[in-house]
Amino acid sequence: MREERKFSVTEPPHISSGETVPRAMLDTILALVPVTLVAIYFYRLNAVFLIGVCLLAAVVTDAVARKIKGRKPSVSDLSVLVTGLILALCFSPLTNWWTAVFATVLAVGIGKEWMGGLGWNRFNPAAFGRAGVIVLAPVTVFLNRQFAGWNVSFPMSPDVVDSVSGATPLTMIASPQMTLDVPHLQLLLANPGGGGLAETSALALLLGGAYLLYRQHITWHIPVSILGAVAVLTTILGHNPADHLLTGGLMLGALFMATDWVTSPITDPGRIIFGVLIGVLVVVFRVFLGPTEGVAFAILIMNAFVPLIDRLTRRGVFGQLNAAKAAAAKATATKAA
Amino acid sequence: MRRTFARGGVHPPQRKELTSGVAISSPAPPAIVTIPLHQSIGAPARAIVKAREEVACGQLIAEPGGFISAPVHASVSGKVKRIAAFPTSIGPSVECIQIESDGQDTWVPDVNLGASECTAALAKSPEDLLATLAGAGLVGLGGAAFPTAVKLRPPPGGKVDTLLLNGAECEPYLTADHRLMIEEAPGIIAGLRVLMRVLGIERAVIGIEDNKPDAVETMRAAVDEIGGVSVEVCCTAYPQGAEKQLIQAILGREVPSGKLPLQVGVVVQNVATAFAAFEAVVRHKPLIERVVTVSGGAVAEPKNLRVRIGTSLEDLVAHCGGVRGELGKLIMGGPMMGKALKSFDIPVVKATSGVLLMDEVEAAQVDEQACLRCGRCVQVCPQGLMPCDLAAMANHGRLEGFGDGADCVECGCCQFICPAGRRLVHSIRFGKSDYRRLKAAEKRQGA
Repeated sequence: MREERKFSVTEPPHISSGETVPRAMLDTILALVPVTLVAIYFYRLNAVFLIGVCLLAAVVTDAVARKIKGRKPSVSDLSVLVTGLILALCFSPLTNWWTAVFATVLAVGIGKEWMGGLGWNRFNPAAFGRAGVIVLAPVTVFLNRQFAGWNVSFPMSPDVVDSVSGATPLTMIASPQMTLDVPHLQLLLANPGGGGLAETSALALLLGGAYLLYRQHITWHIPVSILGAVAVLTTILGHNPADHLLTGGLMLGALFMATDWVTSPITDPGRIIFGVLIGVLVVVFRVFLGPTEGVAFAILIMNAFVPLIDRLTRRGVFGQLNAAKAAAAKATATKAA
Repeated sequence: MRRTFARGGVHPPQRKELTSGVAISSPAPPAIVTIPLHQSIGAPARAIVKAREEVACGQLIAEPGGFISAPVHASVSGKVKRIAAFPTSIGPSVECIQIESDGQDTWVPDVNLGASECTAALAKSPEDLLATLAGAGLVGLGGAAFPTAVKLRPPPGGKVDTLLLNGAECEPYLTADHRLMIEEAPGIIAGLRVLMRVLGIERAVIGIEDNKPDAVETMRAAVDEIGGVSVEVCCTAYPQGAEKQLIQAILGREVPSGKLPLQVGVVVQNVATAFAAFEAVVRHKPLIERVVTVSGGAVAEPKNLRVRIGTSLEDLVAHCGGVRGELGKLIMGGPMMGKALKSFDIPVVKATSGVLLMDEVEAAQVDEQACLRCGRCVQVCPQGLMPCDLAAMANHGRLEGFGDGADCVECGCCQFICPAGRRLVHSIRFGKSDYRRLKAAEKRQGA
């Protein structure tokens, strides 16, 4: 009798690229490290605390929400950490920790897990959480009353405190009475402006985006079309496009939130349509509606249209384009004859 | 810039270095061979020998069972042991003829194993040549095993102007065609001329990927003095060896969806098939052996072996020093499209280009989770499909929009790249057969 040998039998292909979801999520976290470091440099322990609170809240919410569904925590795929980190980067260093926790619970608990979990969520969880605390302002007010006196804050250097407590660059460009008094170069490189943590350095975000592009986790279509649409439209409206590109959550949104795999289109033309429309909405919000998280809302609105965009941008399969062209040529030939 | 196909494709680790420098060796014929009757696309062959009958090597033992079918020949001399169902690579019980070798390796008369002069053979009429190829049991040796003679029969109304010889060998690990091009270039070219004569055409192109510079060189040297034949190099990308992709890469023609290469005036044949055509016509030798790459991390000595059809994988692996370490997976064919087997008790067939013994690391699969819609499968699909959507339709039985799925060539690029480990090829295969059934039922209802 021959010795029994055990090995697996599966359908082909039998090899894989080695790309995994945790690896992609880890790469996204790595891509956010530069901007996180810049934020920590300016806001010190305040930034560390806020990020820590969001990450912890994300992990706990994930565990609880999944427990209710009878599943094990999904922290090992790292996606909740990405959501937590992006959310923290959306907030200003002066944000109360309970607001951050509330946003994270909305993002991970409802935006992601109760919409079906990773892969099934229709809306970008971070944008969902960020917009959620604005839409649910009564709850935030209630929380503020309940937790008043529990606030935690750490000392920052005096000039940082000054700029943080003043108007943010986004408020400056969005209100007719004010003008942007921060040089563009400073916004690009490093500026403790008082907006979200991610607003401290556009360059650091671009570095991260370049890394994701290099690792092929994102394509250029979405960020370029968002930023391009914003630049073109603001120029047409008589604004300085650099003012808009370098302020608010635009850079973070364009590079890290709109490019979220699950909630963006899968075809390249679809990605361009998606990006351009987000850009249009951002400009509409900023120019006509005032400075409140226009990017998060724009992304959420377009998230809802993704299935439609995907359906409209189905591409011709191999050999169909050619066949159509040949048929057209034949038709012209017959006509000519 | 070197040419390649227009859309998609992936670059899996090649692992060809394991065997690309190993010359083809011919082990002694095995003591027993199990030859399946169903070795080509189409109908299985019909046995014409009986148990306990003496047969010579190369003797016809089964004749074609239909128009699309190929005859089968004895690959050793000896006595037919039995004709019964055995497990093969296409199923657990396939009718086979088992022959016990007498160790003499006596060939049928007329076979001239040393012949290489092809002038006389090329003077024969195309019809005679085609009959010889059909009689020798030739099938496409690239893996699909479509009867060669059927592919070469001029279609009514169709016009062929170019023969494309496929030397891409894009599957990782496999080097059988590579070695054959290096060691048997004149034979391949002679076979190419036979195929050109059968088709009645003056132009042929040999397509080779740029990861085989030595093969390009030997093939270029061999075609040197023949007009109308050229060797074209394309850059390495999987699935370059797929017919439609290779035609696009080399000739710049796009085969319409759902049509055959004939539509754009091209016939594609594998280099190994051309060599078999040479052997059939010049040496009068039917297709009873082929070159097989035995490779992978779990085989002691990876090799390229010229083995008789019907040799069991057990014997094949024994020629390569046996299994080394933990075997993760046994595959017939390449790692992208090959079939995983559950036993070594399976015979080599005409379509067997490689046998891979993957160790546990090579065979590791990504755990499957929900699709994240990253769109990587859409990016890499060479056929321009949306694999994630097709798989979802197939899984949920919502096949109204599945039509495009018929164009899937099951190359596996989508699943190779998928970070969520989705078994896309598996789902789409099911979808394809369900869709066919659905359409057939609709047709019946309509009629």
